[in-house]
Amino acid sequence: MYQYIMRRLLLTIPVVIGVSLLVFSLIRLLPGDPARALAGVTATPEYIEQVRERYGLNDPVYVQYGNFMRGLVTGDLGVSTFSRRPVTTEIGERFPRTLTLASLSLLIATVVGVSAGIVSATRRNSIFDNASMFVALVGVAAPVFWMALMLQLLFAVQLRWLPATGMGGISHLVLPSITLGMASAALMARITRSSMLDVLKQDFITTARSKGLAERVVIYKHALKNALIPVVTVLGLQFGILLGGAVLTETVFAWPGVGRLLVDSILRRDYPVVQGTVMLLAFLFVIINLVVDVIYAFLDPRIHYQGQDN
Amino acid sequence: MRGIVKMWSVTTVWMLISLIAVGSVFAGGAQEAEMAEERDTLTIGIGAEPESLDPVNMTSAPAATVGEHVVERLIYMEEDGALTPMLATSWEANEDSTVWTFQIREGVTFHDGEPLNAEAVAVNLRRFVNPDVGAAYAFLLGTVESIEATGEYELTMELSQPFAPILAHLSHSFIGIVSPAQLEGLGPNDTFEIPIGTGPYRMTEWSRGEQIVLEVNEDYYGNISEIPTIEFDFIPESSALIVALETGEADAIMRVPPQETDRLEAIPEIEVVYESSVRTIYIGFNNEKEPFNDPLVRQALNYAVDKQAIVDGLFDGVFTVADAPVVPAVFGHESVGPYEYDPERARELLAEAGYPDGLDMTLHHPTGRYLLDATVAEAVQDMLAEVGVNATLETREWSSYLEFTSQPPEEAEYDAFMLGWGTVTLDSDYGLYALLHSRQWNPNGNNRGFYENERVDELLDEARVETDRETREELYAEAIELIWEDAPWIFLYNQGQINANRTYVEGLIHHPLENLSAWDAYFAE
Repeated sequence: MYQYIMRRLLLTIPVVIGVSLLVFSLIRLLPGDPARALAGVTATPEYIEQVRERYGLNDPVYVQYGNFMRGLVTGDLGVSTFSRRPVTTEIGERFPRTLTLASLSLLIATVVGVSAGIVSATRRNSIFDNASMFVALVGVAAPVFWMALMLQLLFAVQLRWLPATGMGGISHLVLPSITLGMASAALMARITRSSMLDVLKQDFITTARSKGLAERVVIYKHALKNALIPVVTVLGLQFGILLGGAVLTETVFAWPGVGRLLVDSILRRDYPVVQGTVMLLAFLFVIINLVVDVIYAFLDPRIHYQGQDN
Repeated sequence: MRGIVKMWSVTTVWMLISLIAVGSVFAGGAQEAEMAEERDTLTIGIGAEPESLDPVNMTSAPAATVGEHVVERLIYMEEDGALTPMLATSWEANEDSTVWTFQIREGVTFHDGEPLNAEAVAVNLRRFVNPDVGAAYAFLLGTVESIEATGEYELTMELSQPFAPILAHLSHSFIGIVSPAQLEGLGPNDTFEIPIGTGPYRMTEWSRGEQIVLEVNEDYYGNISEIPTIEFDFIPESSALIVALETGEADAIMRVPPQETDRLEAIPEIEVVYESSVRTIYIGFNNEKEPFNDPLVRQALNYAVDKQAIVDGLFDGVFTVADAPVVPAVFGHESVGPYEYDPERARELLAEAGYPDGLDMTLHHPTGRYLLDATVAEAVQDMLAEVGVNATLETREWSSYLEFTSQPPEEAEYDAFMLGWGTVTLDSDYGLYALLHSRQWNPNGNNRGFYENERVDELLDEARVETDRETREELYAEAIELIWEDAPWIFLYNQGQINANRTYVEGLIHHPLENLSAWDAYFAE
């Protein structure tokens, strides 16, 4: 297992280099000049030239990439061309906010999704089953943007229960995390349901029932444990997706996390911030994947990895 | 299997946490309602976050709006364009207006306790014009040669040549004076986050991406503002901005989209404020490229567009049809237009120019930069089709749009482009010289359509150095008439601005420079 983890960790290096090349070249392939985006419509040519000089934008691309990679290794991601603050500071301030939002969304998604999935599976084809699977379908399909506006209108404007935008107490987190967690909850409900249905067909469940165990014990003690294995995998991957996918939610709810920072920075052609943010998200995604794989191996003794001693 | 058991108990714990969370949500909601009752904070929702509040790095309207509460200039520009004393109490020029002497206000202290004097002002202005610092708006003081403190409270400024709009330029929001202690030891590329000024409010917090918090300055030399705390909240999505005002999370918001005004007008607790702005929206022609190098074609297209229909139909009559290349509030404005909507005349002119069957062109426009810009471009396209001009629309995202329209004449591919320009000094020099003088052709300046008229160049040059106001007005009047005749643009409309606030907020200043100022604001019962 240790060997396996080490090998996977080493594999992240080419992945990170690949991502860095991709991000670095993609943002530079976009038309639009960062100096001009910063300086605005009234800028003088002298000023634009000065900005290019200041941020090394006149250097050949391979020099810029070299500087970027050197910075990456030493933990210096450069300075934002927009705010002139270090990129690590910009990201450091906002990442905890995105982490909070993603964690709460995942919590909601897990609680709602898993419970709905269990009930649906045990009462298959009941009204509840059909209704919750329909809601799940809508949850997966509804655009985040629309969902966010509807929730704002209902809970903030009509009912006045919750604030619509910004940061503050935990009340500010409710609508964004529901919005963000909705699609994940729907996915989890569907996966829990199908996984549960699979398990319920297995012989050991029949055995448990024939032993005369109460249905409650059969479901929660015997079936659920096994049914949750695929759910845990999805849960991990969803966390990665939620971290990177909070862009729309953060924009609509004016939640100042890394997602919004990324979008704003792309529009401003703020190369250093875009590079730094994408690198961070990519790196997290790789790590989360690794953690999920490892947890998976712990959970399911049937899984073996190459190179592992038998 | 132990792993799963653990995992399951973790889920149970999470369920408990979520119950607690739901509980505290309602507690939190109640708390907020209470706070609103007391009303010691004015919350203003703005769309974009300032890039910086260091005067030498400021470039945007949101930065100006926030900064004005904290950092002051020598001179203030009133809503009607009048220039009144701020940190300078009086000023005078020598005979040929090349040496200006300013009396600096006495008894003023910065928020850190440092005293204001002529030397403090000089340090700031020298930093602003220092080429190594590279302030984006250093060109505003481009004619300034030297800045000296010639007395404890006397500042003398020498210009390389007479420059008539210098006072208006000094009133610009970006030429703010901060505490000299804050600038001490700063290298040319160094900056600071929280400016220490002399303004009616001091800045206490900048939570990036979220808000800026200001507290009232109890030691202000003028009237002490009534509202203890002002918050500027950054809400990028305009629908969310409106929701924030509806729920009362924001007490005032800026830049309401015109199509949302009906909804807000219907709410009795909300007041919608319509104010003019200094921004003109136009479609520039590439005057160097056929067929747009022919004034007849350019005039024809001006006649072909029904500006009034656009203003009434899309902007509920809040905006006005342009009757000059600058808005009426600008010094030197001369009403010479509009080109009345006349498709018949447009067809005649096109035929006269050799295009009896019309022509094909590409119209470039931004999307989302100006209110309903893409919709306006579509309307123009329809109207041009009426006279046989087949316009293909092309849009680009803003930063690439700016680059695309900044090419030198031999590389510029565009036929026509839509843009806006705010004459923020309220002086025609800022609007006409930068956009229409032939020395300002791309890539040297902002004459993106390569307009050139020798007589116009002469008039604009003369008006720069002429100090007599009446003579200047005459010079600009003649220039504007010639420009109008040449029709280097399709002159579209003067953009207005729409803000909104809760009715219990009184005394807000909705400035034509697109600033929202709250130092005179108070909460009415």
